[in-house]
Amino acid sequence: MLTAFTRAFRTPDLRKKLLFTLGIIALFRLGSVLPTPGVNNENIARCLQQAQAGDSGNIYGMVQLFSGGALLKLSVFALGIMPYITASIILQLLVVVIPRLEALKKEGQAGQTKITQYTRYLTIGLAILQSTAFIALARSGQLFPQCREEILIDKDNIFAIVTMVLTMTAGTGVIMWLGELVTDRGVGNGMSILIFTQVIAVFPAELLNIARQKGAFVFAVVIITGIAMIALVVMVEQAQRRIPVQYAKRMVGRRMYGGTSTYIPLKVNQAGIIPVIFASSLLYLPQLVTTLFSNSAEEPNQVVQWIEQNLVRGDTPAYMIIFFLLIVFFTYFYVSITFNPVEVADNMKKYGGFIPGIRPGRPTAEYLNYVLTRLTAPGALYLGLIAMVPIVALAVVGASQNFPFGGTSILIMVGVGLDTVKQIESQLQQRNYEGFLK
Amino acid sequence: MASITARIRRFLERPGSIDLAPFQRIVAAAGEREDDLRAADELPRPSTDDLAGFCAIMREAARRTLGLRPYDVQLVGTLAMLSGNVAEMATGEGKTLSGAMAAAGYALQGKRVHVISVNDYLARRDAEWMGPLYEAVGVSVGWISESATPDERRAAYAADVTYGSVSEIGFDVLRDRIVTDVADLVVPEPDVALVDEADSVLVDEARVPLVLAGAADPGDAAPETAALVRRLVKGYHYEIDDQERNVHLTSRGIDTVEEALGLDLYDTPAALTEVNLALHAHALLTRDVDYIVRDGRVHLINPSRGRVAMLQRWPDGLQAAVEAKEALAPSESGEVLDSITVQGLITRYPQRCGMTGTAVAVGDQLREFYDLRVAVVPPNRPCVRIDEPDRLFEYAMERDHALVDEIAEVHATGRPILVGTLDVAESERLAGNLAGRGLDCVVLNAKNDAEEAAIIARAGERGAITVSTQMAGRGTDIRLGEGVEELGGLYVIGSGRHASSRLDDQLRGRAGRQGDPGGSVFLVSGEDDLITHYVADEYARGVPDRELVGHAQRVAEGVDMEIHRNTWRYTRLLEQHRAMVLGLREKVLRGRSASDALSGAAPERWTELSERVGEDVLDEAARQIVLFHLDRCWADHLAYLGELREGIHLRALGRLSPIEEFNKEAKPAYERMLAEVESRSIAAFEAAEITADGLDLDGAGLKRPTATWTYLVQENPFGTEWERILNRLTTKVRRR
Repeated sequence: MLTAFTRAFRTPDLRKKLLFTLGIIALFRLGSVLPTPGVNNENIARCLQQAQAGDSGNIYGMVQLFSGGALLKLSVFALGIMPYITASIILQLLVVVIPRLEALKKEGQAGQTKITQYTRYLTIGLAILQSTAFIALARSGQLFPQCREEILIDKDNIFAIVTMVLTMTAGTGVIMWLGELVTDRGVGNGMSILIFTQVIAVFPAELLNIARQKGAFVFAVVIITGIAMIALVVMVEQAQRRIPVQYAKRMVGRRMYGGTSTYIPLKVNQAGIIPVIFASSLLYLPQLVTTLFSNSAEEPNQVVQWIEQNLVRGDTPAYMIIFFLLIVFFTYFYVSITFNPVEVADNMKKYGGFIPGIRPGRPTAEYLNYVLTRLTAPGALYLGLIAMVPIVALAVVGASQNFPFGGTSILIMVGVGLDTVKQIESQLQQRNYEGFLK
Repeated sequence: MASITARIRRFLERPGSIDLAPFQRIVAAAGEREDDLRAADELPRPSTDDLAGFCAIMREAARRTLGLRPYDVQLVGTLAMLSGNVAEMATGEGKTLSGAMAAAGYALQGKRVHVISVNDYLARRDAEWMGPLYEAVGVSVGWISESATPDERRAAYAADVTYGSVSEIGFDVLRDRIVTDVADLVVPEPDVALVDEADSVLVDEARVPLVLAGAADPGDAAPETAALVRRLVKGYHYEIDDQERNVHLTSRGIDTVEEALGLDLYDTPAALTEVNLALHAHALLTRDVDYIVRDGRVHLINPSRGRVAMLQRWPDGLQAAVEAKEALAPSESGEVLDSITVQGLITRYPQRCGMTGTAVAVGDQLREFYDLRVAVVPPNRPCVRIDEPDRLFEYAMERDHALVDEIAEVHATGRPILVGTLDVAESERLAGNLAGRGLDCVVLNAKNDAEEAAIIARAGERGAITVSTQMAGRGTDIRLGEGVEELGGLYVIGSGRHASSRLDDQLRGRAGRQGDPGGSVFLVSGEDDLITHYVADEYARGVPDRELVGHAQRVAEGVDMEIHRNTWRYTRLLEQHRAMVLGLREKVLRGRSASDALSGAAPERWTELSERVGEDVLDEAARQIVLFHLDRCWADHLAYLGELREGIHLRALGRLSPIEEFNKEAKPAYERMLAEVESRSIAAFEAAEITADGLDLDGAGLKRPTATWTYLVQENPFGTEWERILNRLTTKVRRR
């Protein structure tokens, strides 16, 4: 990987692309720490410290993760990439529902360009909503419930409030543009790179925190575990079972090269990161419910009590078991939705492909299903284990919930990292040819 | 202020087109010098350093030699092409002259110009027609025809301006790639390409690979398989997909075939391939529709042009399967030695430009794939053609009736009619229907370019009914006959919308040339391929609405663009490999690269042989050995990449990007190929019989190109991950 980077830096146009991407990342980070006008910086910093020390620090966990800590700082880029991601998901869903969008999508590139344009409008709309909501929270002091400091300088000046909303909305627009710039003129997928940036942006601070609070030994253990985990994740993410496929529609003369290059690569972790995100999102629900109930003055009933005792904090056995089971369930669920053996088998049949020794159609679908089901078992276990690491770490070393080598973070990091390096390598490959004749 | 409004209007109406104002200023300046030049006895030699002077001289030269005084708009077109754009000029505006003036301009800059036309007939006609003009300004001109000998070709290419059809130039480039002697090379270094009918050549045919095939073993499709397949029943033993492009056996079909052959098909790929090919030939290809049998041979019919394609063959054993089906003796099956796409051919030229009647609609593609911009040249006189809205019908039958009625009605007035059909079969059917009503018509289906040009030129005469397919007679003007103007000019009827609105416009453009009156209408039915192929989901039944027809065309164009882009992404890597191999080949062919490599690899044998036969003979022998294996391994490499590409879309199932995976696999393959060239060359050198007469490389004889064909692979038929999720969810919801 490092050699790939050094070689890439020696190739002029690739170097330009890499430097461009790094420049965008720097700009992006700058905007993530740049405070929005009207925010009391010192007070926010104090509140943030309190919040991290306290237990309730994980309410905004996922949002914080994707915003690289920018959200609670109320910076210019506070909303991060989430509005854009949400907008694209909403539009993809709408395509199914609204005939006009469906028609556009079918028209190929030209239609897709229009849909992208709608996604951008929706992003801005969402950004206005979200920034208004966050500013309102900040104004009423609910952003940091435990913190008594005033985080806005002039919370009653309507002009100042509007300026803040506009700034954050504009920030979201800029992020969208930066992401698209990276996709067009840099390396890798812009949105993924920006998420990657935000995920690893919190590492140094978190590691420093651990070193400061727990001492050198725990720090070393954390680092070693982290590296080992990254290695493990890289290994499993690359692992695939190759099912050979042959096409028997063309008579090709003599074949010079042995072996087959046509296969279906089934990944051990065919589901990717989605099951973890689904599972943790689902586990936030009970927390939300209890927050609602705790507001009422009545004595909480038994269910609420049980939830408060077991599901709000991550280090209880019940939480761990439920979390693990949910991940396993979602892995199977997601794989079954994204990889439909019947569809794949039909498609192969249509284009004249077959798995050697197996008849096309139903037998092929059954075979694929057989392999996939058995492959998903280790995949699901692996995802569950990786996701458990921060929780176990919390219990063992008492590190904060934002343990830097958390499952989601590592999976995102390695996933985006691998993709980007692959892309760089493939561009590099096209440039290095040499051989026998000079 | 006015220029800003003009700019905004141009941006809104013709996005991506260039500003003509600078050209118009030059042409205006040229107009001022016209009188002086007319008085001069001898014209000065034009130079493109002074564009206004150049325009003025060319105009006068054209007037004197051809009797045609170019209009201002023609000069604007010339200037647009001279600055490397595609000029959009309507039919009848005089593209040929504009293009010739631009070609002369480039030639006067000392560049070699290839004017690339659609067919041999137009290449020859234009070269001969414009010859006097070229001569007057001191530019030599030549043309290539299908029957030209290598010497004639070399002579034509030696001229400053060479006219040739895209396939002839492409074949020359391909043949040059397998020559083993520098003296045999035909095509000089490419300089400027001026493409006539640019949209057709650069977009519609861009994906078509020109293939150089060498005769290998005769095809081995067994007549027994063809006989076996003939017994199978559609729907029971095999099924055909909606678009009639693929056929596959059902499980009952597999049982029947396995029983008959006595083997397990899916363990014996060779037998399976043979059955599949035979089935394809049996179920998807129809005699007299897709091919004809003449003189004991199978000849393909090109569906869009409707002509018998003399040089075409089906790829990869399909030809042999069809021959077996027709119980003919198997012809030699070609093995692909090398190929080039039209796009690859055109992008060889450092300087490109072109002209056509319809370019704006493909402006994006011209920019993306060729870095060309469009200049929309206004007509000399505004177009007054009346385009009626489409007439829509539910069933094709109703449409056909209405079509004949309409023709009969208009014909009664004496107004000439041109009917554009989508394919040959339809034009023949229509001719039959018309004959049934006692109406005489002329049918054109691009079988003979020269003859058809003469016929189409008469299509504007009073009372003429001409039925034509899309490509037929392109490049020839339809002039109105006596008294036709009063009747409303030429009336164009389209018997259905094409897959692209651009082709509709081409057809319409036949009427209303040079400010003539004219009219056009399209008749569309819900049973047309355009509707059933592209918007089957949206259209249930009833009369389709206009919006749906437009949508179907946009879908079709989107699909086409996607395929084009995809093909290009894959061929780019191939082109890179090819460029490197050609670089090596060039060094071997012209230099001592082969001798250096072999003498380095086997020094003892080298010294021994050089003492026996001499350096020169040995150099030549080494060159032949290495060239042979280089060409041989390149053909294998091409076959390997073709096979790799066929199944690469499966990688998407593991969330890998097919194009990246393709690149990843292609590089080691390239290295293996070079290693193979090395080891085979050395082995051949060690074993070869080399005497003072040189080396006898039997079987290395070079083969004539015999085949052109196309095939496509969709990159990811499974859709993206999200699409898959949504599709599954929606199918579940809709099922309920």
